Amino acid sequence: MDADRDFEATDVEAGEALRVDKAPRRFQRRRQRQQVPDYIDWKDIDYLRRFVPERGKIMPRRISGVSAKDQRRISRAIKRARAMALIPFVGD
Amino acid sequence: MAEKRVYEVMYIAEPETAEDDVAKLNETLQGVIEKEGGSIVKIENMGRRKLAYEINRKTEGYYVLFEIEGSGREIAELERRMRVNDLIFRYLTVRVDEERKSAEKVRSKRETKRERRTGAFRNEENTDGQTAEARNNQ
Repeated sequence: MDADRDFEATDVEAGEALRVDKAPRRFQRRRQRQQVPDYIDWKDIDYLRRFVPERGKIMPRRISGVSAKDQRRISRAIKRARAMALIPFVGD
Repeated sequence: MAEKRVYEVMYIAEPETAEDDVAKLNETLQGVIEKEGGSIVKIENMGRRKLAYEINRKTEGYYVLFEIEGSGREIAELERRMRVNDLIFRYLTVRVDEERKSAEKVRSKRETKRERRTGAFRNEENTDGQTAEARNNQ
């Protein structure tokens, strides 16, 4: 019984410690603001691939570091390319 | 009607389609477009490509890209034709003139900015010259 309680107590402590660590967490931009070409071509798969990692999901802005406007343009182009089977919807 | 619109139309046809049949198909589509008042900027045979995912149990497709200038009426007819065509199993139309125009705008804006910057630099030189002149007068 006592041993059990001890175990639980440390478990909770560990959890709290973790939460405390997480509390002030803020997203850090991984890269500087990225330059994006003026015209984003939905047929340019080599370029679009840079925003589609393995899993096939579109890279979020906080990681890619592009502006909101550019992110919209990029994701629109990716979706068009997906429709034409140039880029997968889901990766392996 | 006044402004011309530019479209990119891409279709994927059966991978087994012979080159001749693709050429024939493109010709008929071109005929449709021209009849409806559109004009073709370019036709690009992208050839046989692997599909990123299976469509109708197919892993490959024959890709063709059209660039069309027109009012938009030819697109309706073109899409209808492609829908009923057995060879074509997927197509996509994208209007590109507006995005191209905005890209051009961004580009020219950046250029004038750069010009202004070099202009400002020249002005600086001028004021430098003037102060030198003023110094000479003194």
